[in-house]
Amino acid sequence: MSEGDAVRAEVETLLALVRARYGSRLSEEQLAGVRTSIEAIVQASHALRAVRLTNADEPAQPFAAYRAEP
Amino acid sequence: MAEDVVFTPVRQLAEGIRARRVSPVALAETFLDRLERLGPRYNAVVTVTRDRAIEQARRAEAEIAAGRYRGPLHGIPYGAKDLLATSGGIPTTWGAAPFKDRCFDFDATAILKLEAAGAVLCAKLAMVELAGGMGYRQPNAAFTGPGVNPWNREAWSGGSSSGSGSAVAAGLVPFAIGSETWGSILSPAGNCGLAGLRPTYGRVSRHGAMALCWTLDKLGPLALTADDCGLVLEAIAGRDAADPTTVDRAYRYDAGAPAARSFRFGVLRGITDGCEDAVRENFARSLEVLLGLGTVEEVALPDLPYDDITRTILFAEAASAFEDLIESGAIAGLTAPEDRYTPYARDAILAKDYVKALRLRSAMARAADRVLAPLDALVAPGRATVAAMLGAEVRSAIRGTARDVMGAVGNGAGLPAVAVPNGFGARGLPTSLQFMGRAWEENTILAAARAYQSATDWHRRHPADL
Repeated sequence: MSEGDAVRAEVETLLALVRARYGSRLSEEQLAGVRTSIEAIVQASHALRAVRLTNADEPAQPFAAYRAEP
Repeated sequence: MAEDVVFTPVRQLAEGIRARRVSPVALAETFLDRLERLGPRYNAVVTVTRDRAIEQARRAEAEIAAGRYRGPLHGIPYGAKDLLATSGGIPTTWGAAPFKDRCFDFDATAILKLEAAGAVLCAKLAMVELAGGMGYRQPNAAFTGPGVNPWNREAWSGGSSSGSGSAVAAGLVPFAIGSETWGSILSPAGNCGLAGLRPTYGRVSRHGAMALCWTLDKLGPLALTADDCGLVLEAIAGRDAADPTTVDRAYRYDAGAPAARSFRFGVLRGITDGCEDAVRENFARSLEVLLGLGTVEEVALPDLPYDDITRTILFAEAASAFEDLIESGAIAGLTAPEDRYTPYARDAILAKDYVKALRLRSAMARAADRVLAPLDALVAPGRATVAAMLGAEVRSAIRGTARDVMGAVGNGAGLPAVAVPNGFGARGLPTSLQFMGRAWEENTILAAARAYQSATDWHRRHPADL
């Protein structure tokens, strides 16, 4: 499968998810807009996945263990 | 009070107040009158907070008369973007019709800090609904209407701090507080010919501010000069137990004479690609000015999908922050037609991709710091274009219809930047120059921006008929 076909297949799958969840409140015109947005999201995800990281590359995040002090 | 105080920088107003040549009450009355009379022309104001302003101004006047001068913001009127919570029955609307009557019973930390500094809250200022996080494509994306640019009333004032930009540019307040997740301070500052400061992430408490994206949201000032931005930042910066992302680093604004130093500036390779001709030409002229202040060298960032990293984080967190609004279908009540359905697409962001973006963000932050470490600032056009016309589609890096490496890296890595005016382009609209620095180097970029403003007079120009 070419990269283009892979992107299209992914877009259709994700669009089906959005349609299943919210389709009843969306017009065909709005669904077309959602499809355009999903295409951009899928292309971005492919760009992210193309960068290789190592196991040691952690997310930037501020989580800290919590303990209420008396 | 005569309106000759309008378009006077905060520093000069403060000198007048301290010397008791300027009355805080009269000053507040002047700006309240302008907010009420001219605010509607620019769709700049949600609520004029007259009663609170007069009370604060009277208190300031009494304290100063009694010799208790608090500092340079004492008695200075200002406006706050309407995503900062305010008590006392003053609505906090987030620019969104579903919240237009909503009130909080507390004040955001930034509002409290400004009150402690003696500043006078005169207005809650208009903004793009939900700070633009729903995917709007054109300026008419707030229940108050599109933000109107004081330089050209057929043009946009910028998003999402649209009222903060137009109110300062129209002389309705001496300074305003805005917020930036990606571009929402630098964009209205650039569009309206102002100074706008995006502080380092964690410098200013976001407690009481609408959350669009917890790991990208920052609060900062828009004002007539970079110097004024420094004065305001000192008042609002600092650790806040109510916002765990704030850091325990004291901030004192250093207003020392910039002429005392030589700066080292960097310019990212290809940074003007895609810019309008006037933006490119004004940036070239700005570089000539900067060469008189130090050195300028071309630098490069490693090849990473910067825009995709920051966009993925923004979309995923915004979808979660507004989950109730989206899931309930209440987004149908938003003003911009595209804001009523675009958020549904965010369900397509997979958790693994969001985490990948967070991991790449670490790499991005390290890469940016390596480039910035030997420099005082990266410089670039503040925006690639002048302000869009009110009926036109807005080019946006957030939606992927424009590239913005400086914005993606600066916001994604939480770096400070200040934009200042550097000329004019099409339709008489301002262009801007931005200085971006290492984390916590607000004083360095403000010194550079002050030096630039000392060598130019763009910040002394104001719209006609105001």
